[in-house]
Amino acid sequence: MDLKLDADELNACVQCGLCMPHCPTFRVTGDETLSPRGRIRLMREVHEHDAPMTAEVVDAFATCVQCRGCEPACPSGVNYGHLIETTRETLTRAGKLTPRWTRLGFFALAHPRLLRAGSSVLAVAGRLRLVPKRFGVPRDLPLRRRRHHTSGTDVYLFTGCVMDAWQRDVHQAGQRVIEAAGFGVTPTGSLSPCCGALQAHAGFTDDARRRATATIAALSEDDRPILVDSAGCGAAMKDYGHLLATPEAEAFSARVFDIQEWLAERIDRLPAVDPLPMCVAVQDPCHLRHVQRVHLATRTVLQPFVRRIIELDDDGLCCGAGGAYSVMQPELAGEIRDRKIRAIDDVDPDVVASANPGCSMHLAAAGVNIEHPMVLIDRALQGTASAGGR
Amino acid sequence: MSLLDRFRRTSNVADPLVTALQHALAPDRVRNDGAERSLASHDASVFEGGVSGPVCFPTSTDEVQRITRIAVEHDRGIVPRGAGTGLAGGAIPLGAPIVVSTGKMNRILEVDIENRVAWVQPGVINLDLSRHLRPRGFHFAPDPSSQQVCTLGGNIANNSGGPHCLAYGVTDAHVLAIEVVLPNGDVVLLGGLDPEPGGYDLRGAFVGSEGTLGIATRIAVRLTKNPPAVRTLLLSFAETRDAAQTVSAIIAAGIVPAALEVMDQRMTVAVENYVAAGYPTDAAAVLLAEVEGLPAGVEIEADRIAEIGRANNATGVRQAASDEERALLWKGRKTAFGAVAQVAPDYYLHDTVVPRAALADMLEKIYEICERHDVIVMNVFHAGDGNLHPLLVFDARVEGTLERVHAAGAEIVRASLDAGGVLSGEHGIGVEKQGYMDELFSDADLDHQNRLRQAFDPTCRANPGKVLPMGHSCADIQALRAVPTGVWG
Repeated sequence: MDLKLDADELNACVQCGLCMPHCPTFRVTGDETLSPRGRIRLMREVHEHDAPMTAEVVDAFATCVQCRGCEPACPSGVNYGHLIETTRETLTRAGKLTPRWTRLGFFALAHPRLLRAGSSVLAVAGRLRLVPKRFGVPRDLPLRRRRHHTSGTDVYLFTGCVMDAWQRDVHQAGQRVIEAAGFGVTPTGSLSPCCGALQAHAGFTDDARRRATATIAALSEDDRPILVDSAGCGAAMKDYGHLLATPEAEAFSARVFDIQEWLAERIDRLPAVDPLPMCVAVQDPCHLRHVQRVHLATRTVLQPFVRRIIELDDDGLCCGAGGAYSVMQPELAGEIRDRKIRAIDDVDPDVVASANPGCSMHLAAAGVNIEHPMVLIDRALQGTASAGGR
Repeated sequence: MSLLDRFRRTSNVADPLVTALQHALAPDRVRNDGAERSLASHDASVFEGGVSGPVCFPTSTDEVQRITRIAVEHDRGIVPRGAGTGLAGGAIPLGAPIVVSTGKMNRILEVDIENRVAWVQPGVINLDLSRHLRPRGFHFAPDPSSQQVCTLGGNIANNSGGPHCLAYGVTDAHVLAIEVVLPNGDVVLLGGLDPEPGGYDLRGAFVGSEGTLGIATRIAVRLTKNPPAVRTLLLSFAETRDAAQTVSAIIAAGIVPAALEVMDQRMTVAVENYVAAGYPTDAAAVLLAEVEGLPAGVEIEADRIAEIGRANNATGVRQAASDEERALLWKGRKTAFGAVAQVAPDYYLHDTVVPRAALADMLEKIYEICERHDVIVMNVFHAGDGNLHPLLVFDARVEGTLERVHAAGAEIVRASLDAGGVLSGEHGIGVEKQGYMDELFSDADLDHQNRLRQAFDPTCRANPGKVLPMGHSCADIQALRAVPTGVWG
């Protein structure tokens, strides 16, 4: 079967296996079909030698979290992200991977009113305990959200879809921090409802391209920086250049910054305040650490505002959230999360900081006290040192 | 249960061997589908031609014993598999044997700091053990370049070395006792925790036996105290010969560094491109030298090494200023093999050892051989013990390349043996180096090695077709078995 893979990208792998321990699904199963090296060999067998696309092969591709922890580990620079995204796109097109009905859910992402209405229903249902726990949906979703307000035109703050409906308080904390550094912020709100990351992840690449095109069109009136406080969205938007392969998309991607990455360069502009009396463990979202590779900025921006930063000793292994992964592969996602929780317990922090909504929901569902770094900084700036988690 | 499980098709129907294995373990820990078997028939070498039977994922000695008894009952071979990072085809199954993956036997069972011993399962990753010990100030000394992924079971099977084995000795020196499931299903304990266990040293025979004497299921390893001080030097040279000479001179001066590693220019360029550690890409060769010990001692030794380097025309001498810098230099050295895909998608390497004094000549010989066969070669080696790793890099898709590569490889091996060297420093014989065994050993040597093997495994059930060349190994009926392999081969 033609997987539409680039022959050179596929052959960049010498099968040395150094990626394997950095793969969460291999770590928890010890099974090579669930490792990057294994998946690449299966791609080769199918793509180059026409091996049949059996259920086990489909499963190997379906179970990849797409955390891309294997990429920084690869001395030959194999672009695993491209390989797995293309493979999943081909399989989704052929109706072998993501069930078609899930497209309905992705449709809602790009329609903010529908999404917010649905979220409010979920919020009520959650409070009534009507949502199965395995869906990983927080029980305390907000019933209503405070409206966005524009404070200036220095930067855009990209608000996205699910995050805007479920965690708007994080956007608003981030906005206050950026304003405290002296910049005017335009939250994108319904101007640009969804970046398309989840669609690309699921293999609905055409949908993702449509979202990318719309996002670029909506935010290209001028060339101000676009700050993103969701690591997954930021990674996707920085990859528009590859996804659409146009000069406009390249130029757009160059304007995208993770909010911490951007703030780290301007951290001196924030006032000196009393740090929160807490030890904070940093849980790096994969798409911040392995894909955007700007995770050190989290330390830079947090450091002045908390008592101590603690590192997890797990090489930045994924937590198992992976966009919709925790819903599609709950068993593996749970095992991967257990490993992360052991690493967190080992350092016993007051709170965990994670700059991605998926990770924080996935870990919070297992009882981890977790906050976005921007929320912690905002709290320190407001002088409200209360330790409450969500 | 995942949403996709509903579409899962089981291909494990009605094979009595598979049924028996599933009954002995658990249905989901025995895989007989084409995808799993295809991956289990490869390792990190270029060898094609492996055929895997069912792949089992046991979790205990007891389960390995049950698998072995089923193998006896069904007259099948049995091959242990760790991380599959071997470079000599040692884990590649021949003749559709049962593959026993240690992927789920990855627990550190007990750490006894007082006696400096840890009991581990064979699937524990080498670096995971050292990380686990780090807070207590200890580590497991053998550090193969693949240590971030390779398993202790595999280290024992190959008697693996690593950069720091120059000072500490290879795996054999760090394994005290091994619980083994023999090829007939008996469980025995080889070696012991006492400093001098009585009787024959069967533990010593087992270490390096490449899975042909049975399967290790519990291992007692020796723990090594982390050194109080470490100095790492990077020396660059305009001539490869000068690097080799520096190595000899350092040892001749009575210094035993913890590690002495050389990379040639092609290798250094590929590595630097990945790690950006500041390796000089214009040097013909770089020498990474590390000394460990008490702070005062390492200062003196580091200065001596720098001096010797300069006396041998080193064009640059740099000392790592921080732990981060040191870690980055080592990351580069240890990911060297993986970095070759930047040059070409395949590589084939030998692992011969030559006397240190012959290193410089041998390197020149290697370049000459490869040039004659029109093959690109990248060199990275444990210079301190004369252990060469010439990587012949190529693109297997180009017609006729593999033949040239093999011809060049064969010449390199012969030249190494002529220089008074041996076949393998640490990667093992596997299937790749089998054909060279009778160039190194006499018929009588090989026959006696085979007798040892038969004492453990009279029916050649354990990793059939490996190490000993045909004609000297017990019939190897297993390897010749014709087994229908299905579409996924």
